[in-house]
Amino acid sequence: MADSPAALELAHLSSRQRRQLLPASAYQTMVWAVVVVLVVGPIAPLIYTSLRSKPYYLPGSVWTFEPYRTLFADHLFWEAVKNTLIFAVLTTAGSVIVGTAFAVLTVRTDLPGRRWLPWLLVSPIVIPPLALVVGWMSIYGPSGYLTQVASNLGLPVWNLSSLVGMAVLGTVVTVPISFLTCRAALHGADPALERAGLASGASPLRVMSRVTVPLLRPAMLNAAMLVFAVSLEILGIPLFVGAPGRITFYSTYLYNGWINGTVPDPPFVSAGAVLLLVVVSSLLLLRTLALGSEERFVVGAAGATESDRPLELGRWRWIAASATLGFVALTSFVPLIGLAVMSGVKVLTTLKPPWELGTSANWSAVLHDPILHRSVINSLTIAAFGAVLTVALVATATIIAHRSQFRARRSIPALLMYPRAVPGIVLGIGIFWSYLMLGNTGRPLRITIWGEMLALCIRNLTLVYVVVYPSLVRISPSLGQAAAAAGATWWQTTWRIIVPILRPALLIAGALMFIAVLGDYDPVVFLQKPGTELMGVTMLHAWQKGLTGPVAALAVAQVAFVAAVVAITAVVYRRVSRA
Amino acid sequence: MPDVVLRGIYKSFGDTEVLRDINLHVPHGYLVTLLGPSGCGKTTTLMSIGGFEQPDRGTIRCGDRTLYDAATRQNVRPERRGIGTVFQSYALWPHLTVAKNIAFPLKIQRVRRDAVRARVGELLDLVELPGIGDRYPHELSGGQRQRVALARALAPRPELLLLDEPFSNLDARLRDRARLWLRDIQQDLGITTVFVTHDQDEAFAMSDEIHVMDQGQILQSGTPQEIYRRPRSRFVAAFVGQCNLLPGVVASSPSGATNVVDVNGLAGPLEANTAERQPGVPVVVAIRPEHIHISPFDALRNGDAATFSATVERTTFVGDHYRYELRAGDVSLIAQSPTQITDTKVTVSVASADVAIITDQPAPESTPPVDAVV
Repeated sequence: MADSPAALELAHLSSRQRRQLLPASAYQTMVWAVVVVLVVGPIAPLIYTSLRSKPYYLPGSVWTFEPYRTLFADHLFWEAVKNTLIFAVLTTAGSVIVGTAFAVLTVRTDLPGRRWLPWLLVSPIVIPPLALVVGWMSIYGPSGYLTQVASNLGLPVWNLSSLVGMAVLGTVVTVPISFLTCRAALHGADPALERAGLASGASPLRVMSRVTVPLLRPAMLNAAMLVFAVSLEILGIPLFVGAPGRITFYSTYLYNGWINGTVPDPPFVSAGAVLLLVVVSSLLLLRTLALGSEERFVVGAAGATESDRPLELGRWRWIAASATLGFVALTSFVPLIGLAVMSGVKVLTTLKPPWELGTSANWSAVLHDPILHRSVINSLTIAAFGAVLTVALVATATIIAHRSQFRARRSIPALLMYPRAVPGIVLGIGIFWSYLMLGNTGRPLRITIWGEMLALCIRNLTLVYVVVYPSLVRISPSLGQAAAAAGATWWQTTWRIIVPILRPALLIAGALMFIAVLGDYDPVVFLQKPGTELMGVTMLHAWQKGLTGPVAALAVAQVAFVAAVVAITAVVYRRVSRA
Repeated sequence: MPDVVLRGIYKSFGDTEVLRDINLHVPHGYLVTLLGPSGCGKTTTLMSIGGFEQPDRGTIRCGDRTLYDAATRQNVRPERRGIGTVFQSYALWPHLTVAKNIAFPLKIQRVRRDAVRARVGELLDLVELPGIGDRYPHELSGGQRQRVALARALAPRPELLLLDEPFSNLDARLRDRARLWLRDIQQDLGITTVFVTHDQDEAFAMSDEIHVMDQGQILQSGTPQEIYRRPRSRFVAAFVGQCNLLPGVVASSPSGATNVVDVNGLAGPLEANTAERQPGVPVVVAIRPEHIHISPFDALRNGDAATFSATVERTTFVGDHYRYELRAGDVSLIAQSPTQITDTKVTVSVASADVAIITDQPAPESTPPVDAVV
């Protein structure tokens, strides 16, 4: 054996040892530094501008608390705070109640369809947020189709543009958060506790109300804090839905202050953004401290308890199933239908049947109007590039955080989670000032779509971490150690062992990132310039001009793109995960 | 060729000290076993040799290479140590075929493609799995995975092989065969090997030398026979097989030629090698159950064995032998024998060579004299 060709080859090994340009720690430091700059970078200019008397670019500016004083002296600000708090409380209550109910029904009972209903219930996650909002306006808005039908029939008519109406829509948007959080908790709970309840003679409904739901209290609190934080920063709902009722939220107060201000780029908007950032960040920090930082990732765990004997709903079985399906139909399906119809008619009204109002004008506008057309191309471009680049960066950072000896690795998870704690509009203002302060270096970012891409990617990069991290920790460390024992460097181990095993997770992360960048808009409302139009902000502007048809067409296009990405991902995923 | 030498290794995780002054010498070509219960530090020691754990103090050398030296802050990275490792989980990469798993270390070293193919074939033959190169790890049985893991570890012809509980994922029947097979390969290749296990049978069947570990320390080192026959501490006596532990004091025999021990509660003294201990020194003697010979009452005293009478309190049939609970004077004893004895009154004898003196003192008072039988 000693004279085999392999042995001779091995004898020359020491002279042919691997070449490395730089030690692994140098690359690791670079990746870490990029993450730090992206995540922390936009915050500093925001705080700076909130403490200056004039915008950054004007001479004669001094340090001052004046922007905060301006804010607190404005009764419209307090009005917005009040509205936002009422909206957030109502939305949180609705979301947690509905989300918990669906979680219990689909995990712990013999509800018909409990295997596939969860997929429908979380669908608002992938529906582009503005598409859902516009769809709701087309059906349930003050002049929405069903609103008109109810009015024609002499039924009491609701007002979607009221605080309560918006909270209903807010509930629909945030139900997946509560639903997934409670589901994860239920999957982790011991079903023997419920069996003990049944064994002691309680009926299934009683067991549900006395055992199952009380055990969910920590998860419900968790979900409530998350939903509350999200509700505080929601921009799309008040902007689209709240406008007719002139109800201003915190986010729209900042937006209007910026757009309609008597002086351009007023410092008090920065001050307001800083306050919102502090409130939302503290809320989410509090939640992390209360729950332990890693627990949120349990969401990805497989349902080990689904094979357990479920609680029997008896005659409530079909009623509960119909209610669940009805919820999905009324909140997601019907609005999407409304959206599709609206994109193909001159005006959506009950006075004439839709086929007599049919028009291709909205779609031809999307194809031929330079701004609408450009917004579609731009959005698809940055979604594709953004998804690939973000997955590459964040996956590398995640592997450094959990599979390396890099000194600062423990700071990486917090850095990657932080962007979710920064409200979109706040990040947008911070990034606006960051690009401006970079002077000529920042100019390419200010005048091209890549600056917008950067903002949207920073805003959503946590998604990649949340998807990749659970898959990474499931890879036994010994697989990496075995590669090191075989002589592989850190990069070789990462590239040839860890990344190939992570392929399914990277694919999912890329698809989610694409969907998020395509649909997100709040971080870029202040960055869009002629030539750099994106779909979300273009829809906002067109809506404000009353061009509802083209907006619906753009929204349908967004939904179609998302559907295509989901379908392609499903096919590729099957192929990738088979290997 | 290299000996592996560990000197004064200390390691703590937080406040817990997991390795305390580990000194280990693995002679070239030997298979040396670290044996101990879970949490005793044996895997941490092994991973320190592999470079996956970094000790706080001490040195690790392989031949004339210093792999780790806390004093001079030398630490060769795992990928530069050239040590083959078989992990407890086998750590076969699920996305690579068997052949690609085995070829990986060679590809990392930029071995020519045809040479890689030749070496992979050679290794698959060595582990008696020819022709499965195209399969994926999930298509293999546990025993096959273990062999592939071994082939991969041996691929770059390492100077040293580390085995981390390689049999723990196999069922009992397969384990017996795998252990003999692995021992044969190790001896054929003459590769220096450090083996970690908590299973005494594995340790005895495979090792040239055994180091028994507990609570981060090596308690005793020696050949399997030495470890079994001459345990030097209560822990070793009890961990490696069953043992009667009897407290007593060193006494002088009437003839003065051999030393004897007066066991508390036993009628006569036991002859033993007390190694120059002065009469009156308290000691504990350890006697294996199979070294207590039982014969019908009033049988003749044989040779230099201590003989005394006892009553049988309980007999248990355990398949290949009988287990007897005896009472001799105030002392309870466990004995085992392949033959069945129906008498209640028996004569027991213990050869002086089978009486080991245990040195860790004092015996905890709460422990009943014979209770260390596990």
